[in-house]
Amino acid sequence: MSLRTFILGLSASFGVAWLAVVVVPFIKMRNLAPIELSEATDGSTGIFFPKRTGRVADGAQVYAENGCYLCHTQLVRPTYAGNDLYRSDWGGLKADPDRGDTRRETNAYDFFGEKFAHIGVSRMGPDLSNLGRRVETEYAAGGDAEQWLFTHLYNPRQDPQRWKSTCPPHKFLFDKRKVTGNPSDTALSFGKEGDTELVPSSEAKALVSYLLSLKKDQPVPASLNFAPAKAKTAP
Amino acid sequence: MSSAIQTSTAQDALLRAGIDRSLRHPVMFFLTSGAAWLAVSIVLGIIASAKVHSPEFLAGCSYLSYGRVFPAHINALVYGWGFQAAFAVIIWMMARLSRKECTAAGLILTAGHIWNLGVILGLVGILSGNGTGMPWMEFPFFTWPVLLFSYFAILIWSFIQFRVRPEGHVYISQWYLLGAMVWFPWIFITANTLLHCIPGHPVMAAGINAWYKSALIFLFFTPVALGTAYYLAPKVTGHPVYSYSLAKLGFWSLAIIAPWAGMQKLAGAPIPYFLPYVGAAATVLLFVPAIAAAINLLRTTLASPEVVAGSPALRFTIAGIGGLMLLAFSAVVLNLPDSTLPLTQFSLSGYGFEILALYGFFSFVMFGAVYFIVPRVTRREWLSRRLIKIHFLFSVYGIITVALVALFGGLQQGIGQEEWQQPWQGAATRAYPYAVATTIAWCFILFSNVFFFIHLTLMWLRLGRRSSHPTLLVSAHGHGPSPHGEEGDIDNAGPGHMPAH
Repeated sequence: MSLRTFILGLSASFGVAWLAVVVVPFIKMRNLAPIELSEATDGSTGIFFPKRTGRVADGAQVYAENGCYLCHTQLVRPTYAGNDLYRSDWGGLKADPDRGDTRRETNAYDFFGEKFAHIGVSRMGPDLSNLGRRVETEYAAGGDAEQWLFTHLYNPRQDPQRWKSTCPPHKFLFDKRKVTGNPSDTALSFGKEGDTELVPSSEAKALVSYLLSLKKDQPVPASLNFAPAKAKTAP
Repeated sequence: MSSAIQTSTAQDALLRAGIDRSLRHPVMFFLTSGAAWLAVSIVLGIIASAKVHSPEFLAGCSYLSYGRVFPAHINALVYGWGFQAAFAVIIWMMARLSRKECTAAGLILTAGHIWNLGVILGLVGILSGNGTGMPWMEFPFFTWPVLLFSYFAILIWSFIQFRVRPEGHVYISQWYLLGAMVWFPWIFITANTLLHCIPGHPVMAAGINAWYKSALIFLFFTPVALGTAYYLAPKVTGHPVYSYSLAKLGFWSLAIIAPWAGMQKLAGAPIPYFLPYVGAAATVLLFVPAIAAAINLLRTTLASPEVVAGSPALRFTIAGIGGLMLLAFSAVVLNLPDSTLPLTQFSLSGYGFEILALYGFFSFVMFGAVYFIVPRVTRREWLSRRLIKIHFLFSVYGIITVALVALFGGLQQGIGQEEWQQPWQGAATRAYPYAVATTIAWCFILFSNVFFFIHLTLMWLRLGRRSSHPTLLVSAHGHGPSPHGEEGDIDNAGPGHMPAH
């Protein structure tokens, strides 16, 4: 076999797979068609566009830089690939006060505003697809969701019930500073020592804003809705 | 007649000695800096692993937070140790097999320094909080052209040597090495352009990242290690490779199957449905090339058990082949859609599988090559049989622990994750003892590699034994005369005095 045929063989065996699993899917996904809503099945018209509010882009950067994706995923798998949807607060809420069962799987439109979807590599901690929803309705129910997240980032074991958590603390995202005038309204409630207070840095604020934007439980158009039909009609 | 043969062996020996001398500094530079990065990576790995079960360990320092130390650990292992070991082995073996002296040692050495600079910048970038958040590609994105450029500057010469070699046989090792040399830049350029330069869909970007990791393991590290093993096994035992057609089957099945693997890590993610299934199928099918190569190499070596017992190079290589078989077995067991894949997809076994590939298979074969190559390029023998044995035993203990964690810990953790009626804490509790086991395993591996690094550095300083006798693991005392004759000073014996062992 000459070098030329050999290199051709290498390129062909690699190139076919390269085109089929990398290049063509990349181009196809790049031009993902928007989904048009129809009055009959979705109850509204227009384009399906899950809105996200908050500092999504720079918050995602802080998320990436500090390696949150190593222990947390952002993927609620369909039932054929895992049991994520059955958990009561992962894919949405089993009993949302206003909308009933809002659980759904992750779809391709959930990551708008991010360059790289932090699907994650391992689940040492829980999935974060609906962390924002979970913090507001469960963890910090009736309280300040931002303040809860700041506390959690500063010390994940601050709440005695979470003493078993193995989440690393991120104290370096907070600054200790002297209070001059009125205390900061984002300062950590337990961080006061004499005339100093603990305030979240700009990075911590971006990260918390991003985490609160993780609410991937909007109703989806009929073409993306794989939930069993009885879930909708059940009282 | 016999004098003609003697002249030609003498000329061969001179040529070999010339090749070794021309490559002494590049090879030793890559190996020692690679071993230093290996030690750095293992220290970072211990820190990261300890944080998994004891999160307050070294928690005060932002540079050492888990989310930064872990990527630094794995990137140092891949780009610091893995690639540099591969460079050393490729440039040396291609020169030997193409029978050409290296004429660009200075350039290779310079490019090697640039590669190291890229790795340093990348690691500082990660630790200072400028990582990209893409697994195995966490280096800040400006480093990738640096790495690519130095890669070409290091390996282009081996390609040229192959082109201008005297007509003759193409060795099995050369297929694998050429494969790795062609595939890597293709994979690297694809992943980096699609992830950094062309805006695409974020989920597909994650898919390409998963493919990149798998392709790096199976289309760069695997062929380099197999090429090396196919060199060492016949060379050290003196027997030809057991089956040429089995080798062909192994090579081409790897070339055809491996590029499809990787995206099973995105099972259930919103990417085209066939991608995770194709990825899982390909990963399972990788059993075929792995077992073909493993059987072939074992049949070649185990025919001469006394050589295997004595030769450090072969002992490490065979342990690496054992690692390959374990890797192939876990590829099947961990990636079955509808049964184990949902359990292992987001568990410890992902990391365990990578470490098994990078250390249990690739690094072991590289250590084998180091024990073979270094005495030749430095013309000194290894100082101590005991140091080699410590390196071997503790590495084996460490990697077996990591492999058990990969197989059982990941499955256990996955079972906990899938128990949706139970609180989430259950999964973490199940993973806890395995996380502790990983830390202990890394301590073993660190212990073994500190000795390896010291030994290797002494060799580069040419403080090895000046002897015509190789350092064998089994003492020749009491077993009659040594096959290498009377022990003598290597520089008096002259090149070609002794046959290759």
